[in-house]
Amino acid sequence: MKILEARNITKLFPGVVALDSVDISFEPGEIHCVIGENGAGKSTLIKCLTGVYEPEEGEVLIGGENAIRNKTLFNKVAYVPQEIDLFGYMSVAENLFLPYEQSGIKGMVNQRELAKKAIPVLEQFRIPVKPDELVKDISVSSQQLLQIARAVVHKDYEVLMLDEPTTSLTTSDTQILFEIVKKVKEENKAVIFISHKLEEIFALGDVLTVFRNGKKVAYSSLKDIDIPWVIRQMTGREVNQEQVYYSEKVLDEVLLEVKNLTGERFKNISFELRKGEILGFSGLVGAGRSELMQAIFGYLPVYSGSVKLCDQEWKLGDTNYSVKHGFIYLPEERKKQGILPVLSIRENISISVLDDLKSGINISKKKETELAWRVIDTYDVKTPGVDKEIQFLSGGNQQKVIIGRAMNCNPQVLVFDEPTKGIDVGTKAEIYRLMKELAEEKGIGIILISSEMEEIKKCSNRIIALYEGRKAGEYDAKADKEAILGSIIGVNS
Amino acid sequence: MNKEKVKTNNAFVNALKKSNMTAIGVVLILMIAVASIASPYFLDIYNVQSLLRDLAFVGMIGIAQSLLLLVGELDLSVGKVASLCGILSGMMMVDYKINPWLSFLLALTLGLIFGGINGLIITKLRLNSMVATIGMQGLYGGINLVLTKGKAITGVPEEIYILGKGNWGPIPFPFIFCIVVLVLVLFMVKKTKTGRYIYAIGNSREAAKILGIKVDKIRIMIYAIVGVISSLAGVLYVSRLGSAQSAIGESWPMNSIAASVIGGVSLTGGLGNPAGALIGAAIISIIQNMIVLFGVNVYWQSAVSGIVVVIAISFSSISEIMRERKQKKIKLN
Repeated sequence: MKILEARNITKLFPGVVALDSVDISFEPGEIHCVIGENGAGKSTLIKCLTGVYEPEEGEVLIGGENAIRNKTLFNKVAYVPQEIDLFGYMSVAENLFLPYEQSGIKGMVNQRELAKKAIPVLEQFRIPVKPDELVKDISVSSQQLLQIARAVVHKDYEVLMLDEPTTSLTTSDTQILFEIVKKVKEENKAVIFISHKLEEIFALGDVLTVFRNGKKVAYSSLKDIDIPWVIRQMTGREVNQEQVYYSEKVLDEVLLEVKNLTGERFKNISFELRKGEILGFSGLVGAGRSELMQAIFGYLPVYSGSVKLCDQEWKLGDTNYSVKHGFIYLPEERKKQGILPVLSIRENISISVLDDLKSGINISKKKETELAWRVIDTYDVKTPGVDKEIQFLSGGNQQKVIIGRAMNCNPQVLVFDEPTKGIDVGTKAEIYRLMKELAEEKGIGIILISSEMEEIKKCSNRIIALYEGRKAGEYDAKADKEAILGSIIGVNS
Repeated sequence: MNKEKVKTNNAFVNALKKSNMTAIGVVLILMIAVASIASPYFLDIYNVQSLLRDLAFVGMIGIAQSLLLLVGELDLSVGKVASLCGILSGMMMVDYKINPWLSFLLALTLGLIFGGINGLIITKLRLNSMVATIGMQGLYGGINLVLTKGKAITGVPEEIYILGKGNWGPIPFPFIFCIVVLVLVLFMVKKTKTGRYIYAIGNSREAAKILGIKVDKIRIMIYAIVGVISSLAGVLYVSRLGSAQSAIGESWPMNSIAASVIGGVSLTGGLGNPAGALIGAAIISIIQNMIVLFGVNVYWQSAVSGIVVVIAISFSSISEIMRERKQKKIKLN
């Protein structure tokens, strides 16, 4: 019995075939994983299966009925989006039951009743918050779990769809999530699990569908396949998982020296960065890694401590100074802080070097276009042209544009904050290679912030672990994974 | 898959997107055509001149407002800054017998300062621009009343009447000023570094700061520019009326925002062209002109102009809705 089925669906966007005659079906009591590179069509598929988009061709069947004609059927698909999508200024309980709250007289909300109903749900999901707390005050990890709980308390659903649910979860919360998903499966519901993390897929899933360039390229039971097979299907080529990417040309010269730095979410941090070195910062979500780097960069305030770059006293609190003096921060929140969404790729690239692109007092469009093409060629950005709005590029290509833009400013220190968040395996390797090249060939000091232990281990010459805003340990590249893990969850300190 | 179909679709959509301003330009031409058919007086040289004179003021303020909208902010004190600068120039000329041209220059400088103050408090105290400028317009309006006690300042030297009432050839002087403002603003926005930074800030203030752009400096600068343009409109209006009054510019904040939005400038920032604001201002002025020409009942004038403005603002989204409907229909058949 198929509960949710897409037959031969095709979805077009201007210039792109986002989904090309795709057949896919989901069965009750089965965890069906979906994987594919960025831009492979996963998001479009989700939107077609949840009724957000209508496909140009083909049909979507729910319980055997055509859901495009009868949209109420889409209520049977409980969808948990990748980004947190909760009401920050409402309580946990309200968020949990919206819009299904039925307490007291119709139209009235009985807060106490809601709170009482919320407690067992919070316990079941082991979310350590009170029902009357505001959602904006609870941790990102709890928010993510709450979001899943919200989808599941709605009793009528038949299909649970999770879109990259673990990106902001800690390791232990990921385990809780897995248990919940398994329970849902036992209740004979269908689960759709979309993820970039291959280990999770193999730990949890029953069957796997792989997408590439808008087409379904493979379908198999997970028992019969292994990780290299999946990567081959996804990328259409071999990617060596064992490859390491740390810099092999670390110089003795100290580039950046941070002493006893204290700011809003970090305390008393000291470290050094050498020329040509890749320094990894590991820690849990909220450990203060991004805040530390943003403070050195001048975006957030510093309370005390000092920073030196090339033995020169560093001016804090001025991003303009930092960029001019070769300290560049590539933000984790690419969509909000990295790209200028409705400007073209050309304008996104030229924005940081406009002085060099002048002819007279005008900005020369010719020079701008040349520069944009140079970046596109150097960093292998996949785009039809320089005038496309950057928001329409895939995450990986946006990231390459941002790196290219930063490189035009002749940086000495580059901070990569979660550079591969939401980026697929193939492109990830390209970005690692790029970091290695920049460090080795240009002598740039690179700081890599990442929540993925694999990534940190593969790319870093040294690793600093942060726990709740404090330095919990410093390791070299050969250190034990377990030791680092211990530090970031606060066991060693 | 039919690749060709995809391609034409793409070109069509691109054309539509780029034609954001062309579409509203077409509306303007249609309105002119309808107006000139419906009323024999519309194309009368006297009517056209008075139309251009009206439109110059809404146009100038609209162009200024569109700059702020591009960085995702707005200024509701433009009208009061204009009337305050007008009154101050009037007082300088009449009460202190300062040379009229010098008074005008001083008034423009004051406009720069008032705008700069707006910008400073909004950026340094991190205020919401709408709320802050509602407060500031109360302040500027209040100073107005204190200075004039509600009375108009008459006896402005006649030599400056030419700026407001005079023509250069057939073209009213205020309209020439408006075009000069547009050219300068367009140059800044489209050709200079500052212009790019304005769009960048409007796209994402956080990203702009991370790129090392001096976000607050540019925001303050725009508020100051808006102050100067408001003040220019104010003193031109004084020379048009021949007296300085605190009622000058009362409708300008709302009309300037409406003009910008009709002209395709996004309220959330980063998208649009100041030239669109001038087209929007032209549409608003023609509506008001037609209402007068058609002899609409005085009590109904405001209601009618309100409805037409809402229709004009909805124009672009209505065409979008129609297109979606059409696509859906094709699909179902």
